[in-house]
Amino acid sequence: MRTWWLLLAGLLAAPLPAAEPDADAGQVAYAAGDFVGAVEKWQAAILAQGATAGRLAALGNAEWKLGRKGRAMLCWERALLLDPRDPVATAGIRHAQSAGGIERPALTWAENYASFLGADTWLVLATASFWLVVLCLLLPRLRRRAPTEWQEKAVVAGATIFLLSLPGLWGAHVYARRAVVRQADIFLRLTPTARGEPVSGVAEGDIVRTERPFNGYVRVTTADGKSGWLQAREVEPLWGGGLPANLDQKPAP
Amino acid sequence: MPRACLHLLACLLALTFARAEDSVSWEMTPPVAGPGQPFRLQVRIESDVILGPADRVGRELKPPRGMALRFSGQLFRANTTEATLNFSGVAPEEEGAHVIPSFNIRFPARLIKIPAITVNVSTATGFRREGQARAELVMPTRTYYVGERIPGAILLKGSEQEMVNGSFGVECEAEGFTFQQTGARNEELPNGQGLQTGFELTPIRTGTSEIAINGIMLVNTGGFGGFATQGRDRPFTFRRRVTVEHVPETGRPAEWTGAIGRFLAESVSVSNTKPEVGEPIRLRAILAGEGNLDRILPPELASNETWDVVPGNDRRFRRTEDQRSFTYTLVPRLPGKHLTPAIRFAVFDPETRTFQRLEFATQEVTVTGNAPAKVELVSLDPGAAVGTGKPAAGLATPDPTHRGLLDRGVKTVAPLAASRPFWATNAVLASLGLTLFAAAAWTAYLLAHPEILLRARARRTLQACRREATAAQDEIGFANACVRGLRAGCAPWLDAEPAALTQSDIRRVLPQADAGLLDRVFRRADGDKFGSPATSALRAEATALLALLAELEARL
Repeated sequence: MRTWWLLLAGLLAAPLPAAEPDADAGQVAYAAGDFVGAVEKWQAAILAQGATAGRLAALGNAEWKLGRKGRAMLCWERALLLDPRDPVATAGIRHAQSAGGIERPALTWAENYASFLGADTWLVLATASFWLVVLCLLLPRLRRRAPTEWQEKAVVAGATIFLLSLPGLWGAHVYARRAVVRQADIFLRLTPTARGEPVSGVAEGDIVRTERPFNGYVRVTTADGKSGWLQAREVEPLWGGGLPANLDQKPAP
Repeated sequence: MPRACLHLLACLLALTFARAEDSVSWEMTPPVAGPGQPFRLQVRIESDVILGPADRVGRELKPPRGMALRFSGQLFRANTTEATLNFSGVAPEEEGAHVIPSFNIRFPARLIKIPAITVNVSTATGFRREGQARAELVMPTRTYYVGERIPGAILLKGSEQEMVNGSFGVECEAEGFTFQQTGARNEELPNGQGLQTGFELTPIRTGTSEIAINGIMLVNTGGFGGFATQGRDRPFTFRRRVTVEHVPETGRPAEWTGAIGRFLAESVSVSNTKPEVGEPIRLRAILAGEGNLDRILPPELASNETWDVVPGNDRRFRRTEDQRSFTYTLVPRLPGKHLTPAIRFAVFDPETRTFQRLEFATQEVTVTGNAPAKVELVSLDPGAAVGTGKPAAGLATPDPTHRGLLDRGVKTVAPLAASRPFWATNAVLASLGLTLFAAAAWTAYLLAHPEILLRARARRTLQACRREATAAQDEIGFANACVRGLRAGCAPWLDAEPAALTQSDIRRVLPQADAGLLDRVFRRADGDKFGSPATSALRAEATALLALLAELEARL
């Protein structure tokens, strides 16, 4: 009887395998060189179970193998938004910059600071610390008692975290204004018009900083500091999507 | 000695005579004429003497049978040794080589003999004597593939009646294509009877669409050499329905990196064939051919036991030479004779719709030195300048199960800051906090100032007593209501309980009040308790008592 109990306890304690057959199928296809199959599997997994940093980074690898620079860069950048330390996405972007010739603006000090944590993490930290400070200030007044020692310590800690999270929030805000060039062989235009004079060429997959939109165009600054206008459909912002947009499909009216 | 001087003089004379040879060259446009096609013949003469203007040029000119030829003018500059003479003519109707016999041209200083000139006539030149100028689109007719480079040209063919002088405004209207003109815009056709403009199209998305190429050609309707020529602009438009597909996935090799076209492995070389262990060398492979050279991703080379491979940043692409080079930095890890890693490459041929494999030949390299005890992978490009090296690149093995902090799996990668529930929750919390804070502050204020509550309570009691006194039917009820009101209205000022106040306490608060009136109303109200009830009527003094209560209420 004791043996049966031990066996049952061992079975319960044993870690169960991860129930992600689609992701595993994608990995198998990727390892076999079937990158189209890997893309299909991982896209299906993202649509069914949501986008995670790991899935997006893996999808970026497969897209890169298929030569789709824009889609790959978008996947990797979005993976970094979800997890700034994702090793696959980081390696992919480095590879694209060195071997693929992708241009990516250098991070400012605020963006470097923000990349320590994700944008959502910074916001959660700031919000939580703010409410902690408010609660610790309000609670003694509500109870009509002097604040206790731990409440004072919590106020100091919360205020410190809140102040430290402000640069992170700013860096994440600046970082979020980046976009990926999705069209090949396009030019920065001097003016946001169809007859705008070409200023400089940009390649598919390049990362640009976006500024104000106007007349169906958006003003961007490239990695080498050149500013100009691109059509809004020629770039895709990092935030606001799961899978990269399919440019072959016309937008619904 | 004299003999030697004579020899030297003879040599100098020989050199002088040799130098005195006149140089005559000629050029015919077009090089091969069609039957009956006008042509231009230009004869250039270079001499060692100042030539001046030629005289009676056409006198000795005897063109062959069927050919019209006349002297049309000459170019010369004063005091120069060069002259250019132009002739215009019409080719014979018969095909073949027609020889213009040698003839002399007389200059003031010299008579120069022009050698025989051969005029080739062929029907293969496409020369048209009649008909309107027309434009032709030359493009491969087949299914196109996303990313390939499609060469094309617009041939502007004229005739003897209508010559094409130029074109402008060539543009392409096509969704999903990029359009770029190549080469000279108005390049002359080989038969000299028109122009051509080259271009490249690159499909960027799949689907069936129509491409339209528009432009305007300049047509001269006066023929050759006429003074009454008339030029006009004539637009042309080509519309062609094309189908664009992705490069087929069936049979696509793993090493295909986007190359579409026809390429060949031109050459491969290493910068140093005898490096030491750890000494970086450069491996350079040149790909040549026709296709989308600028869109090809460099093939990946993996590091192995023998070599550490760092991809280079060479993106050189020379369109004019149709070449593309790939550069890698190899770092030998072991001594001995080794072969460089093979660069394998796959190309999709859009004409045959098949994939072809290319492989750059391996190079033998003799590595000297000693093997280190432990070989570490290089982390920086050794060829890069100090401080500018990029980390070694390469795709990491994907791990779809990896998740970051707060990475819960989302349908849309959107920031939490864009979430309405997030801000709504914060707004509710802020409102709640403000409300609680305000309540706590008000409560604390009331606790610090208790007279506010006492006065409010006294005011309410006083108002009730006034209403009761006004409504009282008998005098005892009226007196009781008035006394209760006076006590309630004066209690906050004296910080005492209303029931404990006496007539004298009321007079401390209302010193200007009529003492007799207060005495009468108190005796009427409390007289029964103390055995001396008042007998006077209070109804006549009701107004004064109610005014007293109103004054107390106003002071509260």
